[in-house]
This record gives sequence, C-alpha cells and structure tokens, in this order.
Amino acid sequence: MGSYIVRRILLAIPLLIIISFITFVLINLSPLDPAVVVLQAQDVPQITDELIAQTNEALGFDKPFMIQYINWMIAVLQFDFGHSYVSGETVWSMVGPAFLNTLKLTLVSSIFIIVFSILLGVICAMREGKVIDKSVRGISFFLTAMPSYWLAAIMIWYFSVKLDLLPTSGMDSYKSYILPVIVITVSYTGIYFRTVRSSMLSNLNEDYVLYGRASGLSEKKVTLHILRNSLQVAVSIFCMAIPIVLGSTVVIENVFAWPGLGRLSVRSILSRDFPIIQAYVLILAVTFVLFNTLSDIINAAMNPRLRKDI
Amino acid sequence: MKKGLTFTSILLLVSAIALLAGCGQSPKETESAQTEPANSQVQTELIYASAKDINDMNPHLYPGSMPAQGMVYESLVENTVDGIKPLLAESWDISEDGKTYTFHLRQDVKFHDGEPFNAEAVKQNIDAVQANAEKHAWIKLSTKITSVKVIDEHTVELRLSEAYYPALVELSMTRPYVFISPKDFKDGGTKDGVSGFNGTGPYKLTGHKIDENATFEANEAYWGGAPEIKKITSKVLPAGETTFLALQKGEINFVFTDDRGADSIDIKAMNQLAESGDYQIVRSEPMNTAMIVANSSKMDSPVQDQAVREAVWYGIDRESISNDIFDGTQTVADSLFSSNVNYADVDLKKRNYDPETAKQLLENSGWTLANGEAVRTKNGKSLAMNLYYDSNSSSQKTQAEFIQNSLKGIGMQVEIVGEESTSIANRRSTGEYDLLFNQTWGLAYDPQSTISAFTSDASYKHTTSGLPQAEELYKKIEEVMVSTNEETRKALYADIMKIVHDEAVFIPLTNGRVTVVAPQSLDGISFKQTQYELPFEQMNFK
Repeated sequence: MGSYIVRRILLAIPLLIIISFITFVLINLSPLDPAVVVLQAQDVPQITDELIAQTNEALGFDKPFMIQYINWMIAVLQFDFGHSYVSGETVWSMVGPAFLNTLKLTLVSSIFIIVFSILLGVICAMREGKVIDKSVRGISFFLTAMPSYWLAAIMIWYFSVKLDLLPTSGMDSYKSYILPVIVITVSYTGIYFRTVRSSMLSNLNEDYVLYGRASGLSEKKVTLHILRNSLQVAVSIFCMAIPIVLGSTVVIENVFAWPGLGRLSVRSILSRDFPIIQAYVLILAVTFVLFNTLSDIINAAMNPRLRKDI
Repeated sequence: MKKGLTFTSILLLVSAIALLAGCGQSPKETESAQTEPANSQVQTELIYASAKDINDMNPHLYPGSMPAQGMVYESLVENTVDGIKPLLAESWDISEDGKTYTFHLRQDVKFHDGEPFNAEAVKQNIDAVQANAEKHAWIKLSTKITSVKVIDEHTVELRLSEAYYPALVELSMTRPYVFISPKDFKDGGTKDGVSGFNGTGPYKLTGHKIDENATFEANEAYWGGAPEIKKITSKVLPAGETTFLALQKGEINFVFTDDRGADSIDIKAMNQLAESGDYQIVRSEPMNTAMIVANSSKMDSPVQDQAVREAVWYGIDRESISNDIFDGTQTVADSLFSSNVNYADVDLKKRNYDPETAKQLLENSGWTLANGEAVRTKNGKSLAMNLYYDSNSSSQKTQAEFIQNSLKGIGMQVEIVGEESTSIANRRSTGEYDLLFNQTWGLAYDPQSTISAFTSDASYKHTTSGLPQAEELYKKIEEVMVSTNEETRKALYADIMKIVHDEAVFIPLTNGRVTVVAPQSLDGISFKQTQYELPFEQMNFK
C-alpha cells in the first residue's frame, strides 16, 4: 500500500507542471500588452507610451517568454506569486486568507452535503417508488434546478430581513455560515444523493443480498452491508465534491459578500489582475489533483485489486 | 427505523413548505416586516456599501477608492461652487508671468501621526508625486512643475515651466496633489508604496480587512473642528439585491453613486426605501454628462459617417429616458457639457428628438430603405452597429434597450452588448467599438480633463481622430491648455466644443447627479464639485 501511495503521488507531479505551464501560457495569450493591463488595473487615468515601456521593464515583461515562465515557476515554488497589479500587496497575502475563508465554507458545506446525501440516498433506496422516494426526489429536483443566487436572495430576505435572525452578508460569526451553507448544501445534495441512491439500488439486486437474507440476517444488517458497498462508489465522488464546491462558490460568495477565493477571482478577472488569476487557477488545479489522488488512495485502501493499476 | 424515516421526511417536507411560503409573500408584508434601521441605535456612525474594496490608500497612486481617500487626505486648495477656496493653504500669490505660485500654509495642521504639516512636508510630497511623473500624465500640471522651494516654515513656492491656468483646479483634486505624512514614505518617496496612511483630513483610517470592510474614525484634532459623525465604515457588498436587503435590515445605512456613475441599487428600490420613512434620497446638482461615444475613425463602420451619428442623436428620445428610465432624477442633456461647467456656456445647435429629420439625414447621405426591408443599406452595406454598455449598471442596460428600439424605427440595426467597465475602457482605448456608453469627467475636472482626453490614445483619440477637422481640433486643444488670456481661452473652448458638437461624436443623453440614500435623521448632506467624494465631516444626526 505504501508504495502505491508513493507512486500515485509521483504521478501527480508532472500533471501539476503541465497545468502550471498551461496557466501561464493561457494568460499570456491575451492580445493586450501586459503593461497596459497592469496600468489599467491600477486605474492610471492616462496611459502613455513612455509609461508602457517603463512598466514593461520594471515587471520584466520585456524578457523572452520561457525566461518569464521559469522565473515565475521558481518564485511560485517558494510560494511567491508576485504582487497584485491593483493593490500592490503580495498575491499570497491576498489569496491565502481568501482561500482559508472559502475552505471553511466548503468544508462545513461538504460535511452537510455528504451527511444529507447518504441519509436521503438510503431513505430513497429503501423506499424505492414509494411516496417518500418520489417526494424527496421531486423536491430535490426543484431545489437543484433553482438558481442558487435566487434561492440565496429569498433566504436572505426571509431569514435576515423579515425574521431578523441572521446577518444578510459578510463573515462575522458562526451565524454568517448558516445561509451560505444551506444554499450550497441544497444545491449539491440534490445531485449527490442520487448517486448514493442508485448505487444502493444496484447493490440491492446483488447475490450477496439475497444470500444474506436467505441465511436469516436481520434487515438492519443487510442494509448496513449494502450501504458499505455502495459507499465505496460514493467515496471518489465525495472526494471530488470538495474541490468542485471550492471552485464553484463564486456565485454564493458574491451574493453573501463572503471574502473568499471566488469573489477575489471574479474581481481579479474583471480588473485583469493576472498574478492573482494565475494563483487562483493553480490553487484550484492543485486541489483537484490532490483530491483526485486522495480518492484513488482511499479506493485502493478499500479495494486491494485497484493497487495493481499503476 | 421506519419511525425515523417518517420523522425525517416530515421534517424535509415542512422545511420545503416553509421555504416556498417565503417565496409567496406579498410586497405589502415586506414593508410591514421591515426592521428598525441601524441609525435608531447608532447615532454617530455611518456604514456605507461599496462595490469595491478601498484598495491601496497611497494618495499618490490611483488604485485607491476616491471617497475613502477624500476623507483621509487634503489638498492645498478646494474647488467650490464659488471657485477656488483655501484649504491647507490659507492664501496664495501668483506672480505676474503666471509661473510662480506662493502658498501660505495653515499653521495649526498636523498629520494623523502627529507630524507637523509644513512647507517641508509640502515639498516632499510634491517631489514624491513628480518623481513618478509618467503615471500622472493625465494631469497636465505634472508636466509643468519645475521646482518646489521652501521659503519658510509655512510658506512654499511652486515654479512652473510656463503659465498654466488650471493649476489651482488641478491642485484641488482628490489625487495626486494631496499630502501624506513624510514618515510614511518608503525610500524617500511614495511611488513604490507607503508604510502608513496618515493624512491631515477629518478622518483617520483605523482598520482594513481586504474585501470585507474599512473603518474610519473622526480625527479629534482636525484643524477644521472634529467631525460629528465619529465612525464611518465602508463595507464591501455586491451591488443590487444584497445591498438593498442590507439597507432594509439596517446593516448598512448609507449608499451613494459609485465612481463610475452607477447607482448601487435601482430607482424603484431607492423609492421603496424612502417611502418606508426611514431613509431620504438626496441628489446633487448635475455633475457630469452621460453620453454615447461614436467611433469616427472606424473605417468599416457606418458610424464614421457624420450623417449617421447625427441621425442617432435625432433618433433618441432623451425626454423619455429622463422621465421613464430615471424617473425625472436625471435631466436631459443637449450637449457634451451642461452649462454650469466652466466655459461651456456656448451657443450650440439643439437637436431634439425628431425621427423624421433623422430619416431625412440618412436618406440624403445615401442610406436607403429597400421595400419590405427593416434596415437601411448604402452601396450594399447595411446600417448595423454595436452599442456597448456597462453590464453592472441597471440603468445603462435599460437605456441601451430603449435606444436599440428607437433606432430600429429609423432603419438602424443596433446590437447591444453588455460588458464589464474595464472591458469597455479597453474598447475605448483600442478603438474596437462603434458606439459605447461613457460619461464626462465631471464638474471639477471639466472642461479641461474631458477635452484633454480627446487627444489621448487611452481615451477618446479613436472617437475624434476620424473627423476631417481632427488636426485643427488637436491644435486648438494644445493651445487652450497653455493660453493665459481668458478671452482667447473662451474662444478656443467654444471652437473645440462646436467642432465635436457639429460632428456629433459625443451624443449626450442626460446630466448625471450624485445620489445619496441616507437615514432620514441625517443632516448636513452636501456635495463637492466632484462625483468622486462626499464631505462626510459636514454631516450630523438631528
């Protein structure tokens, strides 16, 4: 198992290098002169040719492309993503706290998503075709289809303004988490519980269930067996849920004015603050690769047959 | 197990029903459900919503939020309705040749960190600005200053390379000629950043959480007397629904038009707040002109044809825009500058809404409408153009739709495209547009700043360079900026305004105002001569 983990991690490294290169290339493909972008981001009222030349030199944009990439990569390996074009702060001092804020929201939401998905998935599978199954699926279909910003606006209006129970936005106390977490959980549970449900259903028809029942095992024990087997399939999906939620909090963060990565990235994209966009893309890519690796490792731990694959 | 399942499902159903019930509330109930606004408990604090963070508050660079910088930093002189007035300088003398300005400074001023504000600090600050002259190319004064000399503790002399009439106006602007404690300088300057944000203004910056909020506390030692509003918080909130809900709940109690001239909540929402009795809406005098800019230099576009531009002008019913879209809060604009702008009281041809004249103009210029067609053509080319608007501004979108529909009536096909403001600025500087929404710099800056921008690649060069009189226009602009004679200046400005007016490259829509939504009990709300900042120090609660 140990060697599998090492091999799996080593495999992730070239992937990360490729991603970093693509990130850098994509952003440098922009038809605009990078100095003009910097100056526009800094809201300089009038951009002159002299200023452009001066900025290009100061930021090293006049160097050949590969040298720029290597310099950037070396700096990034030391967690130095450069300085924001707009605020002049180091990218790390802006992205770091924002990432943590988003991570907090993501982790809390993910726990709820996983718990509710399993709960609802099991309930629906056990009561397949019954009223509960149909109504849970109906409601979840309705809630998943609802745009999350709309759901968020309704929740803010009802719980914050009308009932005056929770803050409308910001990240001040534990209360600030309640509404965003509910909105994220509602949006994703509807998707994930279906996976648990269908996995349970396919297991229900397996021979071991029939055998278990035939040998007189209690219904509770049979269900637990099915659940354990079904969750194996769900693990990799849940592992990927975390980076997916992490990368898709943009709308929620904007509605709730959550000082996280999603909002920072939108703002940076609008002002073409490239160092921050690069860091954002890279962090997200690393998170995806990391969780993908993690889910492979967990699966391999549960199912030794998978370890031979690499 | 069965019992547990039933319980969970009931819980789920109940919560879903509660949620749905929430959606179905009538508007009347919304109003009655409003909570008390924050000002009933907090009598000395304002919390305003801002779409962006205050950013880097270095007053000698440009990323910072202007309203925030306006609270913390001050300039030598102040631009008011009655002209230039003293601020940090008590008085000043101008030499006969117009090249030397001697400022006599106030003696009772200290920076927030306790450092004295004196001639030395003025010199260090202006030198720091000049050391980064390339960034300040838009402000012509930066190209004229040759030296700053300390005469004595409270007298400072500014020498220019040539006479420059808007010198005092440019010294009064929010940036860059404002003062920060020399103790905050890095490596003797400010162009590579500063170590603190100590100005001389009525408020001190006391806290800043990036992308969350910034707090400003009253400067109790302010030379003009401590302000009555003791604390101001700028809270970063997305515009629109969240801001409106936060106002309703009282989490914020103040909003105003942002520095791009966009209201953070729409007029209906504002009126709803005012009707509740908790809030008041206060509007400034006209500050700027909202307009459509036409790209005269885009050779493959119909918009380079003067007749087409004029037809657009005649084809837009600006009365309807003013009354129906802005509810009468913005007045109709007939020319690039409203008449309260300096030198702008010029007699220009008035083009009222007149679709018949528009059609005639197009007809005469060869744009004909074939039978059964909706769009005019000329030499096989159809009269089709793109109009770009700021997708964050709800009013621009409505106007764009309205204009698209009106121009359809005279045989023009206008595609409307909503984009971010930075992307629009980018189109303006690269010339990738036919028509786009824009606004003039505003009272304190005009006419000189908007007119200077006619010649700048980053601004209106593409708008103006396609005109047959372009060279003449640029020559006049150059002359007017250095002219020392008032009469010559008047004549030159009149010529410049006439050229762009006759050529219809700047199609005016309405005169914009700064809008403030504030608690009903807040007194002393007034405006400055710019749309970018507010005199918070004059406000107080009744």
